[in-house]
Order: sequence, then structure tokens, then C-alpha cells
Amino acid sequence: MASASGEQTSAEYIQHHLTNLVCGKTPDGWTCDHYAVDQMGFWAFHVDSLGWSIFLGLVFVGLFRLGIPKLSTEAPSGIQNFVEMCIEFVNENVQSIFTSAKNNLIGPMALTVLVWVFLMNLMDLVPVDYLPTLAGKVAEATGMVENSKDAYFKVVPTTDPNITLGMALAVFVLIIFYSIKIKGLKGFLAELTLHPFGKWMMPVNLVLEGVNLIAKPISLGLRLFGNLYAGEMIFILIALMLTFSSISIGLLGVGLHLVWALFHILILALQAFIFMVLTIVYLAMAHETEDH
Amino acid sequence: MNINATLLGQTLAFVIFVAICWKYVWPPIIAIMEEREKRIADGLEAAKKADDSLEEAQLAFDQEMNKAKAEAAEILEKANSRASQIVNDATEKAEVEAEKILSSASKTIENDVNKAKEELRQKMSELIIDTSEKILGDEISPEKHQELLKKAASEL
Repeated sequence: MASASGEQTSAEYIQHHLTNLVCGKTPDGWTCDHYAVDQMGFWAFHVDSLGWSIFLGLVFVGLFRLGIPKLSTEAPSGIQNFVEMCIEFVNENVQSIFTSAKNNLIGPMALTVLVWVFLMNLMDLVPVDYLPTLAGKVAEATGMVENSKDAYFKVVPTTDPNITLGMALAVFVLIIFYSIKIKGLKGFLAELTLHPFGKWMMPVNLVLEGVNLIAKPISLGLRLFGNLYAGEMIFILIALMLTFSSISIGLLGVGLHLVWALFHILILALQAFIFMVLTIVYLAMAHETEDH
Repeated sequence: MNINATLLGQTLAFVIFVAICWKYVWPPIIAIMEEREKRIADGLEAAKKADDSLEEAQLAFDQEMNKAKAEAAEILEKANSRASQIVNDATEKAEVEAEKILSSASKTIENDVNKAKEELRQKMSELIIDTSEKILGDEISPEKHQELLKKAASEL
């Protein structure tokens, strides 16, 4: 879609959709100026991803806690039914994976992951131009930017690797925490160094097991990111068809958008589910005490 | 794809939301669900118990019913036999009475017949004596007369 001022090439259109609203620290201090992004180091925040992520987290808490004014044992209704269904589903998954060890943090964490990631993924179904265009108009009207083209706003948090890897990092920390808590530091180190090849091949074992350990959070985060990024990309490409001044291509774009959105519903739910199951599995592995 | 502090921000948000869920979202609902599960289990058990006691009651009822039926049959039988006994007794008594009445009646009749015969005989001998007196005249004395009368009566 051509922006309000001047022509925009397809590459610019795509690039615009894939750029975050960044606020960060430059040598001159904190700024949200898009043209200063290059000068920002590590200390920069994707305000849009983080904002949507936190907002959706609040939606989750609001729906699951405040959405039920009065919990009822005898006649649950409306939202409580839905919430109980979710919790039962998560609980079943946790119990089927956590067979011996008991940990009452895993259930709530799995529930949070499932619903939160699903909500974040769900933002992918909002047509790609709606919210960025709205944000651009608002930014222009309030004088935050001179041209709405300079206002960047990425809506789907899970298409931002920072978000997915951020959650994976938390899971990773928990894996290490529980490994050490359950097996002791010695047990954890032994697990890393003493197999598969026995104690005379410690360095080799460490490399193999280290890769194994590090691969868990990386694959966890990147899998979600990759799926959602690709899905978002296809939505953007389909939306690009609507910018051509051809009715037939435009209609084709509408049809494709519908088909892809329907198919994407499956991916959204599946990826949220996979993220949850892998989180449970990794933590269950951290709780396993028996030697192989 | 540039990694920056957003990652740490998301990690922090993750920790906070998990903590909120852990403390405030999960426990009340799990508690409610467990309570309901318990209630349902209790209800099922109570239903089973009620079923059992119903069966027991049914059994006791059947037993009592059979007993009552047997008793009733017994009573009926007793009553029947008593009734037939009464009828038999009555019949017997009636027969005896009838015989008695019959025999006394026949006795009376015999007596009457005998009496009538006696009277008839008396009258007849008197008649004969009277007649023969008239024919023979007063030759017969009253003593003779009495004697004759007796003779004739015994001969008749």
C-alpha cells in the first residue's frame, strides 16, 4: 500500500513492515529516533514487540484471573469453562511428561507459555497494514514523527527473535537451575562430562553435551521465531499484491490472504503448543536423576 | 535480526507473568477443579451406597412379602380345614339329631298304635260281651263277665 507521502517501492514496503520501533541508548542519550538506530548498541528496546508482548500477557492474566468474577464449583460458566479447559489440557500434558518428579511451577509456566505465545501468534491474523498504518497516523498527528513513513510498528511479537529467545533464555535458566537443584552441582557437571564416552574422554563429552544443552534454548526460540516470521512474510507478500493497480491480482491477493490466514490458524496454535511441550520436556529432562 | 536488550526485557516479562500465573491464576482454579472432582466422586459413592441399600431394602421387602404370603396361605388353609370340620361336625350332629327325632317319632307312633290297638281290643271285647249278653240273657254274672272279657281280650 502506498504510504501517504510519495511512492514506496515493494522493497521499501516490505522493509517497513519488518522494522521495529526502537528506543535505545545512543552516545547522545536515550532516543526513539529511527535514524539513530545505527548508533544504538545492545541497550535498545523494541518498544512495539515488547509493548504488545506485555499487553498480551496482561490480556492473559486478565482473562484467566479477572475474567472470572466468581469462581464456581458447581456451575462454572462462560470464561471459567474455557479457563478450566485450558488448565486441564495443560495439566494433562504436564502430567504425561512429568511422570515421577513433582514441581508445581511447571503447570503454571506451561499454561502461561501456551496462552501467551498463542495470543502473540494470534496477532499475525490482524491484517498486516492495519495497526502499522494506524500507529503511523497517530505518530504523525501527535508530532512524534514528521512523516508517517518514519513510524515503524511491528505488531507480532513472536516474529521478533528477541522475544522468542528471551523466553527461551528464561527456560534455559530454569533448566540449569533445576538441574543443579535436583542433581547437585556435581551431578549436573557429571552429566555434562561423563557420557557418552566415559571419564577418559571428558573434553569430547563436554563439547557434545554442551552443544546439546545450548541447542535446547536456541532451537526452542528460533523454531517459534522462524515459523512466525515466515508466516508474517507471506502475509506481507500477499498484502503487496494489493498495492498493484490490477483488480485481478488484487482479488487473487484477497483469496490468497484468506487461504493463508485459515491455514495459519493451525500453525499459530501448533507453534504455541510445541513451545509449551518442549518447555515441559526440557524441564522434565532437568528433573531426571537416573544415570544413563 | 539484531539481538538487543529487548531479549532481557522479554525474559523479565516472562518471569513476571509466570510468577503471576503461579501465584494468582493457577492455584484457585486448580483448587476449584479438585474440589469439584472430589464432590463428583463423593456423589458417585453416595449414589452407589444408596443403590446398595435400595437393593438390600428390596431384598428384605421380598423376604417379608414371601413370609406374609406363606402365612396367609397357612391361615387360609387352616380356616378352610376348620370350616370343613365345622360343616362335618354340624352334619354329623344333624344326622344324629335326625335319627333321634326319627326314632322317637316312630316310638311314639308305635305306642299310639299299640294304645289304639289296646283300646280297640277293649272296645271290641266289650262290644262282643254286650252283644252276647243280649243274646244269652243275664246268665252271665259280673264276675263271669269280667273273666270272659279278659279271656276274649287275650284271645283277640
